[in-house]
Amino acid sequence: MSFAQGLLEALTKDLPLLYGPALLAVAATLMLWPGDRFVGRGNKKAWAFVAALVLLAAGALALTAPTDEGFNRMFRVDGLTKGFQALCVMGGLITIALSQPQLNALKEQTVEYYALILFSVCGMMLLVGATDLVSMYFSLELMALCIYVLVAYLRHQERSVEAGLKYFLLGAFSSGILLYGISLLFAAAGGVTTNLAELNGRLALVSANGSLLVYAGVLMVLVGFAFKVAAVPFHMWSPDAYEGAPTPITAFMSMAPKAAALGAFLRVFGTGFQGIASDWMLPLAYIAGASMVLGNVAALRQQSLKRLLAYSSIAHVGYMLLGVMSGDAQAGAQAIWLYMLTYLLMQSGAFAILIYLQGKGEGERIDDFRGLGRRQPVLAFAMMVFLLSLAGIPPLVGFFSKFILFKLAIEQGHVALTVLALLTSAVAAYYYLNVVAVMYFKEAPETERAPMGSLATLVVTVSCALILVGTFFGFRLMDWMGRIVLG
Amino acid sequence: MVPMNAVLLLSFLLFALGVAGVLIRRNALIILMCAELMLNAANLNLIAFARHSGTPAGQAFALLVMGLAAAEVAIGLAIVVALYRKKDTVQVDDINLLKG
Repeated sequence: MSFAQGLLEALTKDLPLLYGPALLAVAATLMLWPGDRFVGRGNKKAWAFVAALVLLAAGALALTAPTDEGFNRMFRVDGLTKGFQALCVMGGLITIALSQPQLNALKEQTVEYYALILFSVCGMMLLVGATDLVSMYFSLELMALCIYVLVAYLRHQERSVEAGLKYFLLGAFSSGILLYGISLLFAAAGGVTTNLAELNGRLALVSANGSLLVYAGVLMVLVGFAFKVAAVPFHMWSPDAYEGAPTPITAFMSMAPKAAALGAFLRVFGTGFQGIASDWMLPLAYIAGASMVLGNVAALRQQSLKRLLAYSSIAHVGYMLLGVMSGDAQAGAQAIWLYMLTYLLMQSGAFAILIYLQGKGEGERIDDFRGLGRRQPVLAFAMMVFLLSLAGIPPLVGFFSKFILFKLAIEQGHVALTVLALLTSAVAAYYYLNVVAVMYFKEAPETERAPMGSLATLVVTVSCALILVGTFFGFRLMDWMGRIVLG
Repeated sequence: MVPMNAVLLLSFLLFALGVAGVLIRRNALIILMCAELMLNAANLNLIAFARHSGTPAGQAFALLVMGLAAAEVAIGLAIVVALYRKKDTVQVDDINLLKG
């Protein structure tokens, strides 16, 4: 078979797997050039609409993609891929909706902003389907490189640039560690393959005799991933990056890349490196436990709601890592996916309200929520639903997703960690409830009421409604969804 | 042929140099260079072991990593320049607006 024939065959057979991400990459490129040349300076807002449509189309294409493996076994479409791709697309859409007020107010609407979001979502969609360390590494970097720029996007604000630099330097450092780990695993397996399944078989053989190369390699890959999901002790960048970034990008970072990185985590550790599980299980358990404790304890003393949400997201990652550790990859994937889905709803709602208050000139400090219950009862009620659900208070969906995850962890024998998770959840309830108490029981001087943007209202309404609906149907709905989406 | 352990040792030294540089140096540009050094340490492993086993996959990987390193530098320098315009410094110790 000639090269051309092979190429043609690969394109016709494999390309349908990638229609979703490919559409994003092509559309984002066309938006940058020549698209932007035809749009006047005042009309950049239109790109938000275009980007949202492209994301919707890409999501639809990804969900209808055939379930198969392709590109020399580098990319695989299955329930896990589709489920997490849908989360990433949702994260992107929510971010575009939440960005509008701030970008309009600061007159920072540009095509690049939306193109970068599309490129990074493209990276995420590739990442969750990557079954080879090569494709995994490069899609991870595509995602991360775009987000570095987005964090530093408000380049006239010192703290945005500072957050971007911090995130970038630590990100580059962690990607160096990750790549070195990959190269060690590649070396340990004899230098012939980077495919996860093949690598797993070979490494299991080598590791049976206690190989330092495998141990060091897998630990470094673990560290690289822990950086990307911001798990303790590799979380140092996240509170700063979260606080300094434009708030819609903070929301983005806490939703979409986290979902994608956890999907890849599942792919690489949950299903990939099962043969050498004894090498990474214990370190991962420590990382998960430390994330729960430190994330929650550090969140206690935060004055800024943005930082509070950053630290609490570290804790939430700690909980989700319990699912990665479960020996049952399918059940682990379902539990994490459900957790991430509910987390996405709660987080997007909370951020929508935070962005609204910021837009009114009130800050992001918890004190700025004083008296919100009296001033804007509906908004305060929605915020209360999001916060209580984040805290995992029954009967809200946040409780169900936590319950499913913890139940799985107990079944898999991680009892001590689950007890730790429960104890730290109680700590979390304190700081979430504190915000609720501030909203309802503290008086504040009367301020003028500005209308909330229609898109933000939509996000808040939909998230709140879905959380309440999920509350009524509880387990059955979630169980059904997990099974339908992840197969 | 060079023994593979020698390659591993060399790449480890390069990697350790990169890590030490990132942790010790306070100039953002030098930290960036040290991070690139870490990528190159990995490249050395990839190339040497691919050559050793006679399959090209690792070498292609290394080529792609070089492309990535270039993209990373482009973004990193852009951010450093943006910061330099605001603060007139590239020392990371002077970057301390965000704390806690």
